[in-house]
Amino acid sequence: MADINDYMQRLLKSKEIDVSGKRARLVDEFIADEDNIFTFEQIISNQQILIDRFMNKLKVYDIINQHLQIPNGTVDKYYEYKFDLIKLGKGEIIFSDLEYPEDFGLTYNNETETLSGIPKQSGDFKINFLFRIKGENHHTDTHRKPISLIINADPKSLWKNIPSDEGKDDAWKIANFWKPDNENAFEKLGPKKIVVASKRGRSHANVGSFRDDHFAYKFLESNGWSIVCVADGAGSAKLSRQGSKIACEAVIEYFENNMTQEISDSIDEIARFYETRNQPPANQPEIENPGSAALQNSEETKEQAANTTPLTETETTIQTDPAAEIQKKIKLFLYNNLGKASFAAHKKLADFAKEQNCQLKDLHSTLIFALFKKYESGYAVLTFGVGDCPIGLINQDFTALKLMNWLDVGEFGGGTRFITMPEIFTSEKFPTRFNFEFISDFSYLVLMTDGIYDPKFVVEANLEKLEAWKGFINDLDGTNDANAKVEFNADNHEIANQLSEWMDFWSPGNHDDRTLAIVF
Amino acid sequence: MRRLPVYLLLDTSGSMNGEPIEAVKNGVQVMISSLRQNPQAIETAFISVITFDSEARQIIPLTDLASFQMADIRATGVTALGNALKLVAEKIDTEVAKTTAEQKGDWKPLVFIMTDGIPTDDWQVGLAEFKKRKTAFTVACAAGSGADTNILKQITDNVVSLDTADSASIGKFFLWVTASIGVSSTKVEDSGKDVQGLNELPPPPAELNIVV
Repeated sequence: MADINDYMQRLLKSKEIDVSGKRARLVDEFIADEDNIFTFEQIISNQQILIDRFMNKLKVYDIINQHLQIPNGTVDKYYEYKFDLIKLGKGEIIFSDLEYPEDFGLTYNNETETLSGIPKQSGDFKINFLFRIKGENHHTDTHRKPISLIINADPKSLWKNIPSDEGKDDAWKIANFWKPDNENAFEKLGPKKIVVASKRGRSHANVGSFRDDHFAYKFLESNGWSIVCVADGAGSAKLSRQGSKIACEAVIEYFENNMTQEISDSIDEIARFYETRNQPPANQPEIENPGSAALQNSEETKEQAANTTPLTETETTIQTDPAAEIQKKIKLFLYNNLGKASFAAHKKLADFAKEQNCQLKDLHSTLIFALFKKYESGYAVLTFGVGDCPIGLINQDFTALKLMNWLDVGEFGGGTRFITMPEIFTSEKFPTRFNFEFISDFSYLVLMTDGIYDPKFVVEANLEKLEAWKGFINDLDGTNDANAKVEFNADNHEIANQLSEWMDFWSPGNHDDRTLAIVF
Repeated sequence: MRRLPVYLLLDTSGSMNGEPIEAVKNGVQVMISSLRQNPQAIETAFISVITFDSEARQIIPLTDLASFQMADIRATGVTALGNALKLVAEKIDTEVAKTTAEQKGDWKPLVFIMTDGIPTDDWQVGLAEFKKRKTAFTVACAAGSGADTNILKQITDNVVSLDTADSASIGKFFLWVTASIGVSSTKVEDSGKDVQGLNELPPPPAELNIVV
């Protein structure tokens, strides 16, 4: 209890009233008076009321001005945030509520002090935190603390899907080498079936640009060979959509015209060798570049490669080991036929560039293709690849997987290579772009562009892992977030649409064109 | 997923007090809101803010756009640009994933520096550290006449200057940074390759003088 004497002394002093000497007794008498004591106590009590009120105001001020940032939300994604009222109000908050726009999607529960729900709208919202503190009751107006809450749009909703031919006529389509944004197919391919889909990536759909991927396939009735091609036009090349198309079509055309009976017979002979041995080659044939001597140091390497004289067997007759000899024959066959086909594609592209008066690099495209033929005891599978698109061959009981090609990737491979680059044909690596496999049967022969490989295999190393391919096939079988399922059944006429739907899978950061061809 | 890391190095020395610091805060806010509307950026771009005054600190670690929240910044002290360069070098080491046979690393980071003054610390030591790290590109912006473009030129070839450090000019700089991040995020996704340099970015607006 404050001392009335002290109080009076300070009061008199502040009023400059002299109470020294004999006057001092007056003060003593004054403060002994009951009425005066009562008045003094009232003053003290009123002071306390003022201070309490002020302190409350200060508490409210501090709560309102305390930095409070609550986590951001995303439209259609469950949101939950529990306010820490002890921390925010230092134990003073006795009531809380939230004021937010109607149809917000989020609600505040003031028992649990939690804001939760599924946000419906995106934007930077100002919501009000309403509260009362100790000493206030339900008659007291609540205090308002504005808080910002950021609700992000659902990333999926931000992507536009603008058709590449929106508002365009046929003349425009022809002049601009237009191709459909999405294509798919399901057909018998010789003794097997092929299902294939090619979809424009979201990054292209977002700006209404073209699909740059392409595919083509063909069964050659006359000799039993089947061919599957997949190509990925480079995003940075302005006519790559046409580049990938020309590359695929040129390969088919090449084999239509050049897979003569004689050539087909020569590989049949090789296949028979494996049939009698009934086992695949121990190793991938170690191919030296049989034509590199002829191709090196030549200014006209392109023409030379096109006209490379087929190497004859006389050069190989010194071999006596049958296995080594057959490997040599494989090398020759691959080089003389698949090599020529790949060069035919290059040549077609070069001719087109000349005709269009554009640069060859405007047509940059990767290219992979596979040929296969059924023999009595198995299949011969021959492949070529340039660029970063893989070819996988999986055996009948899914116990072995062979990645048929190496990928020209990133930092390690010195960057992506394209079929449009003349230097690939003269490189010492050229012969390693081919592969041959004799397999009793296969469950899947898979060709894909990086739009599939990047999200589904992530790194090159996974392409050589059987487990990763098992995961991939399980994914196709419906083990995925979207529950999209592709039923690999010869009688399933919906399969091409199923594959196309499966290919809409969502993978952040992966919105490239997607092409996937599966022979089964 | 491969992230596109973006480091903003912002001068918060005393001379930035008032309009410039408010413009920087606003610039970052507008940038973030705008990038959030870009489907490629919101999936790919990750932003970190490093401020430097008498010392450098990372006030926001590398954060995705969807959860990014700008912290309050105040202008005070001197200009420890060298420390900021050293700090960003350390953060690139710890925050940016490297590509290995088993995983695809992040894209090379983009670095934007904005300063209105002359470094007061031993900036060359920090620069030596910074130069050891690979970035897709580094842009330095000299805001107003107090900054020394010759020093910035030693940090990076890509130097732009603003005649005055007023809110309109600083706003324009951030708009250009926004466009550059947007274009870079599209580019890396489309081509699957790192952005190589400034020439792949949208041209800067007239308010930004390119220092040659």
